[in-house]
Amino acid sequence: MNSETLEKIKEECRKLPDDVSYIVGFVKKQGEPREVLKVLKPDEIDRLSYSPLSFNNPARIVMDLMKTDGKIAVIAKGCDARALKQLEKEEKIERNRLYIIGISCPGVIDYRKFRNAVKFRLPEIESVELVGDEVIVKANGEEQRIPFSEVIFENCLYCEQPTPKDYDVLIGEPREGKLDFSDIEEFEKLDREERWSYWMDVFSKCIRCHACRQVCPLCYCEECLVDPSNLAVSPMTPAEEKAAYPRVLGKTVSASDNMVYHLIRVLHHAGRCAGCGECERACPMELPLLKLERKLKKVVYEVFNYSPDEEIPFLSKLDILPEG
Amino acid sequence: MEFDPKIITFACNWCSYAGADLAGTSRLKYPDNVKIIRVMCSGMVNPGWVLRAFRQGADGVVIAGCHPGDCHYTVGNYYAKKRYILLKELLKFVGFDDERFKLLWASASEGKLFAEEMTAFTEKIKEMGPQEKLRRKIE
Repeated sequence: MNSETLEKIKEECRKLPDDVSYIVGFVKKQGEPREVLKVLKPDEIDRLSYSPLSFNNPARIVMDLMKTDGKIAVIAKGCDARALKQLEKEEKIERNRLYIIGISCPGVIDYRKFRNAVKFRLPEIESVELVGDEVIVKANGEEQRIPFSEVIFENCLYCEQPTPKDYDVLIGEPREGKLDFSDIEEFEKLDREERWSYWMDVFSKCIRCHACRQVCPLCYCEECLVDPSNLAVSPMTPAEEKAAYPRVLGKTVSASDNMVYHLIRVLHHAGRCAGCGECERACPMELPLLKLERKLKKVVYEVFNYSPDEEIPFLSKLDILPEG
Repeated sequence: MEFDPKIITFACNWCSYAGADLAGTSRLKYPDNVKIIRVMCSGMVNPGWVLRAFRQGADGVVIAGCHPGDCHYTVGNYYAKKRYILLKELLKFVGFDDERFKLLWASASEGKLFAEEMTAFTEKIKEMGPQEKLRRKIE
């Protein structure tokens, strides 16, 4: 299926308007079966690749490329298109300089689950294809079939828009998605102390590497609240002045301090999170960070009745407050 | 010894702080556990401050602002309410006692209401006992 998709992507890329100066797409990573994002010139179309292991979100790269001239073509799955839309709402991206090649996405593979499930050594794998409900991995003339449900990225099961809403060309048949918060509702049924001990257990593992913040396409602030070096500290800065610097976060690595960090990080994504799952994939400790994001999504959807398709950003919309 | 809670109140300069002031000048009593921090508008209260207050050992946090529609800056209290709902839901989700966090609308003329609400909230916190979940511990 994906070799077909790849052919179509290449075909569409050859038909791009003349003023497109960059293509943001996936290329094969050396020595691993997955794809990584790369900014290509229009004459490098042959390097493009695509498979269910092309899971990264190009929105941030597109945002950085907006500083250059010319149009940018981008290959976007459903979640990538949502992130692009959000950045467009926040005026970080100009839509008329963007050419979106939308891909109707069946879901991506969780690389961690994949590495455990596959029996070959990773550099030996020649191709990974999704056919029907099975992932077919080929290496050394052998092939292994893995059910897709075993290796799918968990958040893709709850994807509300697998097909981009806004695109210039679409590859593949449009897919239906639905809003599904069953996992969050399940978790909310636990009683308070159980929930607290679950999250304390999760956040006691956090090493505060800030990778989740760094990789998020929507965390683009140049000065971040959680950075210790927000304000200039020189060897000449007196201790009293340093102590008087505003500090929201503690610097310890205790579980409750880590929790405060994550609560603040997630609060900044209320009504904005695209659900691409980059934070969870980047997390070296494999924490379930999307659970918090999805809880906020549920609140935004149920309490404020706000849908992410609206043109006004959630933060500046005020007529959606509940009564009282 | 009886438990003596610490309650941090972020009161907006134009309504709630004046309301608290009125409660004082009209000699209405409310518990001295309530420590008021004056902010220019309830809309400037960063959810991080609330979390930091809990980290530093507050047993309850109140954000007090003008009634909807009365904000000195037109819409500041609507932002406050939006942030309040999001943070409260999130605190509930992670299993924190979200009753310790409260939003109060009190205008400059409602000194009585301010004193009553603060007394009731302090009583509730006293019943609940000290806040140990987010308090910074020496490890």
